[in-house]
Amino acid sequence: MESLVINEVKGSPYYPGVHFNAETGICEMHGESYMEETYKFYEPLITWINEYIKLKKPLAVNFKLTYFNTNSSRLILDILDIVRKYKDSGGAVSVNWYYDKKDPDMIEEVEDFILESGMKINLISY
Amino acid sequence: MLIIKEVHQQNCLLTYQGPITVNLVSFLGNYIKTFIDYDNKVLVRLFKIYIELTQNVSYYSDETMQVKNGVNCGVGWFTLQEFEDSFRITTGNRILKTDAAKLTGYCEEINGLKEEELRELKRKTRAQAMVRDVGAHIGLIQTSLTSGCKLDFSIESINKVHSFFTISTKVFKQ
Repeated sequence: MESLVINEVKGSPYYPGVHFNAETGICEMHGESYMEETYKFYEPLITWINEYIKLKKPLAVNFKLTYFNTNSSRLILDILDIVRKYKDSGGAVSVNWYYDKKDPDMIEEVEDFILESGMKINLISY
Repeated sequence: MLIIKEVHQQNCLLTYQGPITVNLVSFLGNYIKTFIDYDNKVLVRLFKIYIELTQNVSYYSDETMQVKNGVNCGVGWFTLQEFEDSFRITTGNRILKTDAAKLTGYCEEINGLKEEELRELKRKTRAQAMVRDVGAHIGLIQTSLTSGCKLDFSIESINKVHSFFTISTKVFKQ
């Protein structure tokens, strides 16, 4: 299985950078997410995670998103649901959410994701 | 399209009227984050509200325009104003008269809820939202949550088919 890499493009900061590593199982998203037709961007990411968990290898998801709109949050929730189901079936999973201390609302956003998905998310400030 | 009303131009830091593309949203959002000289926490909130409200215009305005590469996007306007104690963001766009009651219902429901109730409504709305189109409702909920203020809105009749929807909220400076 190949890694999935989408680099941030300077002229379109509404796409986050994506580094899903098939060797280590470390999956990272960083930057901002408020593109049009959000599902078209997120569908390959969701497909990749679904394929990866079939390998029964450890998975670590690191969110380093500084902003995501409500459309993106719907798809992030889908990722968290998949990860939670993998964990419930015995998969080794961790989810970390890195947030800027200067962002006044990110903790509440993540708390809502935890409530909705049932997935434990470690909050890490920087 | 109705022009921006004079009242919206008072203390204006930024205003735009026309097709709202994601590139435009991004460009002017960067202006908000980098060129307005104010506390970063306030600017973060302004940016979030700006994105939700302008993207609602872009996705749901009844007036659309074809821009580069055949992409259709919504037409409308927005303003960013600065006052002594707050910033205010306002957007306006044409809607179908048949959608007016639904939008009024969304805004009145949101304005009638406390913060925890709003968060619960956001979670419920998001869980039920379609992946391809989450709808305008959740963006309005998020706008109210982020601003901590009520949504000021109005719907004015244009003709037999169309109305004009204006929505506004503020971010306090403290």
